[in-house]
Amino acid sequence: MKGHDKYIVLSLLLIPLLFGSCDKLDEPELNNNFTGGTDYTQTQDMLLSLIGVYDAHNDTGWELPLLIGVRGDDVNAAGDQAVYQDTDQYKYDSNNWMYNSVWKAYYDDIVVSNTAIENIDKYIAEADDSGKKQGEQYKAEIKIMRAMDHYFLAKTWGRVFILDTSDLSTLAEIQTLPTREEVMQFVSDQMDEAIPALPKIRPNQREDLPGAYTAYTAYAVKALANQELENYQAVADATGEIIKSGLFDLYPDFYELFKTPGKLSDESLMELQYSDYGQGSGEREAHLYAPYGPSSWTPAVSDASSGWGFYEPSLKYIHFMLDRGETTRLLTSVLFTPDGIAEIQQTPGYETLPDFVSNTTPDGDVINNNVRALFSSGKHYLPSNQLIPGRTDYGSNKNYIMIRYAEILLMYAEALTRGATGVGLTADQAVNLVRARADMPPLSGVTTQDVLDEKFAELAMEWGVRFYDMIRVDNYQELSYQGRSFNADMELLPYPQQQIDELPVLSK
Amino acid sequence: MKNHLLTLLLFFCLSAFGQQTITGVVSDDQNMPLPGASVLIKGTTTGTQTDFNGNYSLEANQGDTLVFSYVGMETQEVVVGSNSTINVQLAISASELEEVVVVGYGTQKSKDLTSAISTVQAEDIEKTPAAQPMQALQGKVAGLQIVNNGSPGESPTVRIRGVGSYNTGESGPLYVVDGGFYDDINFLNPSDIKTISVLKDASAAAIYGVRAANGVVLIETKGGTFNQKPEFRYDGYTGYQIAQNVVKMANTQQFVQYINETGLAADNQFVDNAIARYGRSRLDPNLPDVNTDWYDEIIRPAVITNHNIAMSGGGENAKYSIGVNYFSQEGLLNMKNEYERFNLRSNIDFNVTDWLTVGGSMVLSNASKYRPEASAWRKAYYAVPLLPVHDPLNTEAVPIDYANSQDLGYRSSQNPFSLLSFSENKDKIRNVMANFYAEIAIIPDRLTFRTAYNHNFETIETREVRFPYTMGGNEVRVNSELVKRNATISNQIWDNTLTYDNSFGKHNVTLLAGASFRDESFEMLQAKGIGFPYNNGEQAYYLDQSQTIDVDAVGDDGRREYGLSYFGRIAYNFDGRYLLYGTFRADGTNKYQEKWGYFPTVGAGWVLSEESFFPQSDVVNFLKLRGSWGKLGNDNVASSDGAFTSSVVTTAFGDVMYSGIQTSSAFTYLRWEVTEEYNLGLSARLFDSNLSVEFDYFRRDTKDAVIPVARPLVPESLRQNVGQIRNQGFEVALNWNKVVSDDFSYSIGGNFSTLDNEILDLGGQQYLNFGSSDFQRRSIVGETLFAFYGLETTGVYQNDAEIQADPIAVDNALVPGDFKFKDRNQDGVINGDDRTVLGSFIPTFNYGFNVNLNYKNWDFSLAALGQGGNKILNRKRGEYRYTPDTNIDRDFFINRWHGEGTSNSYPSSLGLRKPWNYQLNSFYIEDGDFFRIQNITLGYTIKNDKIPQTRVYVTAEKPLTVFSYNGFNPEVADGFDNQTYPVPAVYTLGVNIKF
Repeated sequence: MKGHDKYIVLSLLLIPLLFGSCDKLDEPELNNNFTGGTDYTQTQDMLLSLIGVYDAHNDTGWELPLLIGVRGDDVNAAGDQAVYQDTDQYKYDSNNWMYNSVWKAYYDDIVVSNTAIENIDKYIAEADDSGKKQGEQYKAEIKIMRAMDHYFLAKTWGRVFILDTSDLSTLAEIQTLPTREEVMQFVSDQMDEAIPALPKIRPNQREDLPGAYTAYTAYAVKALANQELENYQAVADATGEIIKSGLFDLYPDFYELFKTPGKLSDESLMELQYSDYGQGSGEREAHLYAPYGPSSWTPAVSDASSGWGFYEPSLKYIHFMLDRGETTRLLTSVLFTPDGIAEIQQTPGYETLPDFVSNTTPDGDVINNNVRALFSSGKHYLPSNQLIPGRTDYGSNKNYIMIRYAEILLMYAEALTRGATGVGLTADQAVNLVRARADMPPLSGVTTQDVLDEKFAELAMEWGVRFYDMIRVDNYQELSYQGRSFNADMELLPYPQQQIDELPVLSK
Repeated sequence: MKNHLLTLLLFFCLSAFGQQTITGVVSDDQNMPLPGASVLIKGTTTGTQTDFNGNYSLEANQGDTLVFSYVGMETQEVVVGSNSTINVQLAISASELEEVVVVGYGTQKSKDLTSAISTVQAEDIEKTPAAQPMQALQGKVAGLQIVNNGSPGESPTVRIRGVGSYNTGESGPLYVVDGGFYDDINFLNPSDIKTISVLKDASAAAIYGVRAANGVVLIETKGGTFNQKPEFRYDGYTGYQIAQNVVKMANTQQFVQYINETGLAADNQFVDNAIARYGRSRLDPNLPDVNTDWYDEIIRPAVITNHNIAMSGGGENAKYSIGVNYFSQEGLLNMKNEYERFNLRSNIDFNVTDWLTVGGSMVLSNASKYRPEASAWRKAYYAVPLLPVHDPLNTEAVPIDYANSQDLGYRSSQNPFSLLSFSENKDKIRNVMANFYAEIAIIPDRLTFRTAYNHNFETIETREVRFPYTMGGNEVRVNSELVKRNATISNQIWDNTLTYDNSFGKHNVTLLAGASFRDESFEMLQAKGIGFPYNNGEQAYYLDQSQTIDVDAVGDDGRREYGLSYFGRIAYNFDGRYLLYGTFRADGTNKYQEKWGYFPTVGAGWVLSEESFFPQSDVVNFLKLRGSWGKLGNDNVASSDGAFTSSVVTTAFGDVMYSGIQTSSAFTYLRWEVTEEYNLGLSARLFDSNLSVEFDYFRRDTKDAVIPVARPLVPESLRQNVGQIRNQGFEVALNWNKVVSDDFSYSIGGNFSTLDNEILDLGGQQYLNFGSSDFQRRSIVGETLFAFYGLETTGVYQNDAEIQADPIAVDNALVPGDFKFKDRNQDGVINGDDRTVLGSFIPTFNYGFNVNLNYKNWDFSLAALGQGGNKILNRKRGEYRYTPDTNIDRDFFINRWHGEGTSNSYPSSLGLRKPWNYQLNSFYIEDGDFFRIQNITLGYTIKNDKIPQTRVYVTAEKPLTVFSYNGFNPEVADGFDNQTYPVPAVYTLGVNIKF
């Protein structure tokens, strides 16, 4: 090569440099975030946003229902969790991780809901009339779930934020929080807004999304909120709408209601749905039921996993049920250990127990002793022989019922005993419908106390119904049991320390 | 073909006219001939090397300048005159000041530097028997913190001058290997490395602009030398790794005593159950006949082996270096946990003409890594000693009769062996690093154009296998599971630079201008199969042999980014006295909304010892003051956070799967973080240049720091560019080198550095919480990042009188043996308002020192290091709040409060179970100070004409670590010790052969 070749080589090397790749900088960074280009004219896609909210609400941490329910006299904290047991003893600690976790879980669901509503609004802007109507229905369903979140937050903490936007930037500026009553009124008003947009069918009649919520779910939530407000006429009106629709029926077999055959029954108004999709392996939607399960058992089907033994029906509840001569409901609600049966018998008058009080369940699972829990919750138990072969997790494929028709009937009945006007069905009739399914003889002339007792028997271990009933009627004596002493200061949990750190308004 | 090429080259060489043959002898100042000295015609690549007797011969023209050089000697230039014999005597180089330091897209002489650069040479890197080159740097460079990761094949955490980025995972330096950019260099074989240069300050690193905010580590791989006869080297070692400082746990007797002291019915029942199931101890009938030391069960001694073969050399126009390396290391964890790597390497440079040089280097690395089930360490910490490994009574357990503590009544199965026996995590990592360049001397010795193309192609094939088993209780895996994940990384860089180098009288100038284009891509695909015929062995480990493909576990991800940069540098010195330095880089990227960032730096130096007024003496041979300022960017943060991203979710309606979308409204665009740094330094050589001193003070501010800002009410946080973080400190490095005689030389070195980390601003907020509220870490303006935040323990209540006297104790129903907390706001209540900063995970000082002795055929070296001022959150002890069914460590047992006066800092046995005591408090925060003998090597070189030069050596790596922390290892990168892999001591025997 000669000297001037140098410049030829050099220029050849420089050409691609000069005509280089500057334009690459204008290409968008390629990554796996795909929303930038959501096409809101594809209005049928708004369904996806709705399903996303259902998923968020189904996706519940195990500690949430336990914390909501544990303070009642129907159930005790068992197992090895000290902060959880302290809560059961009404000793509250703002550092308790469960408080913070549950608080965040509810608000996270609320933000997911709000974002979905804002998204659906964008589809609605592009939609034709039927699309708009569809969108309004989806928004109404989301409002039901969002209302339930607010309902539980207010029940647990009293004054809480009402959040109907995904924009959290203004929260820090809030000077006063709405009261518990204002939140309940918000819940009720939201349901009034939602009801006209919703189909007037049972959730299990939904063909698009079986089990998704309907107008009657909204009425149920409205009734719950008004019950907290002690606005009993509104309770009677809302529950009356459900009753007079004639669509709902109590599932005949109380035991199976909480198991696979009872999934999405005609009794169900709000049900968290989980599924193994009929397969022994592979994808599943699941709730962690292990905290409810007995720590030690000999399952009828081997390999079925035991649980953690955290949720123990109280001796008080069992005695109460035995006193009433309950069979089906006691059998369904409680799993007995041999030690637990012995413990029941310790109390004079209970030496002889009916045969069904046994540590072998009707499905043949044998519950073994564990020193930390005498009993386990039967409503959260799925017999090992109902597990799909291949699945071993405790309660796999089991749904979690949140609101059922029996509670509606009893709320209606209580409202009537408090002077509200009904829709034809009497309080006696409503209560006796519930009792008949449980093989209990009919009552007549039911009083408010009768209804509260009936709720105790029927709805024990379910979503803190009992605890909040007792708070509502200020019956602290019932909550002062087995060494506990309850007073008005113990109704609400303290705000989680981490939330106080982040939102100073909570320290006021 | 090759011969033709050579002939052609020869022809070009000969075609010049007026040449004569110059011969001569090159010797040292003692008149001893220097074999292998380089003789080069200045401005060309024509040259030769002296033979064994120091003789050389080459063709040159009158007027040509011959450059004579030899390692450790001052370079000398002689102009060819009429005399055809030129003998030269080279003087011993004053110091390493003449050494050439790699500075990024070029080199500089050490004495001309204005910034803080530390260089570590091959021989220091090779001393450490480890797979990862950076491990060898621990304790050797002031201001560099290396935190080991004990698991084979895992990279250590590397921090240069502290933590500048809020997200500690993004605080690692940029590695530049032969021009290519890497986040991690664990594919490199340490013995292929010629030098590692740590560019510590912003001024040194700024030429790398946006990638440089956390410092830059430049790595040169070994190349050949022109006119050097072939050199063959074999290096090999093999040895054992032994776990060090294994935490002592309570044995059965101690555990049972602790349980008895709690008085808890359930826990005592479990002890009785163990006695019933496993029998009574003959020594003590109150104990079960089991005493399992779980760490002892899961730890094994592990083998480490390395073989390295390299050849290098060069002729007149070509030089080469090729090598093969095999490395294997077992992990300490008793499962399939090992790392194996096979590397091929070549490096070739070729002078095509007197103005064109081309070359290329390639590293092909092929590694397989079996990752540990790291949570086994944690399980072993918690497992109770009264559970045996095997339990023949556990008939449910299939295929191995592992004991299950649920059979004793405990909530979980505890036995870590299910993790060890029924899982296998394999990564097959293949890495190709290719680098090709052409260099054109446009004006010989003055103006050079260089174009270099660098490609790093990496594939990681992951195969995670889970075998079915049953242990009874709730520990069951019915189906075999198989996860396959393939990731491909392809990073390309094309650099073009123009370098101009000239002297005008006393003015010396080097100018550099360049452009760089970057293309980085990442792709990943994964799937999970359930129920494959695992009994058929590896040939069945394929997804399509599975019964089911888990749709939820299918993953697909990718990313592609481009970057374009322009940069320049000016290095000027006047008479070697006044130094000026500046670089500028404009970085463009398609990653951020803000496409361009500009990163300048300036530096200046003053070599006092060159001034006429400076007294000439043997005490101070060289003295330089230097200062610099620079600005850097960090694009290691994502382009946005949260995003209006949608994720696909599935949920069930009526037992049918439906897909939906969850949209996150939380979104922010992020910009690059910007770091600004001032560095003031002093370099000196004292006492006949035997002592070198480097002193640096730095102040580094990260602006626009990307900080996760918690969103109120909801779990997630959103990262925003809102913070300002300052790191400042000083670094001193002293090295004393003395050649006493031909037989004896020694060197002693030490370094010390301090670091003060402080948050200057958090976008107007006073503090930001980090991590779970149970173990709160909080960043507060004026404090360090992620400080541990909790209650201050002032003692332990000793007796009832003390309880009665304290209203706080009465209100909270405390008993003797519970903690006393400081009521900081003195309101008579202990609550969140009484929390305070309990310490930081960032060490405030680091030090290291080393000694090297050479006597006749013997060589000895010792290196030690330490750090202090940091705290560790002993998270393992914090587990009791979630699971009290666990063992306790022996330190706790021995020191627990068990009666008045027994302890004023540890709670009682029952106290350990009380929520009051496990609020985060100073009990859980421990000192992280440690001192370690890092490496001791003793070698003997056999010098015998009949056999090649052979050195045999023994090494003890990390044989001794002294610390007070209750864990395996005080090296916890983020100070949050949930489970660390122990760092082993390594004892090896090695041999180096060279001919």
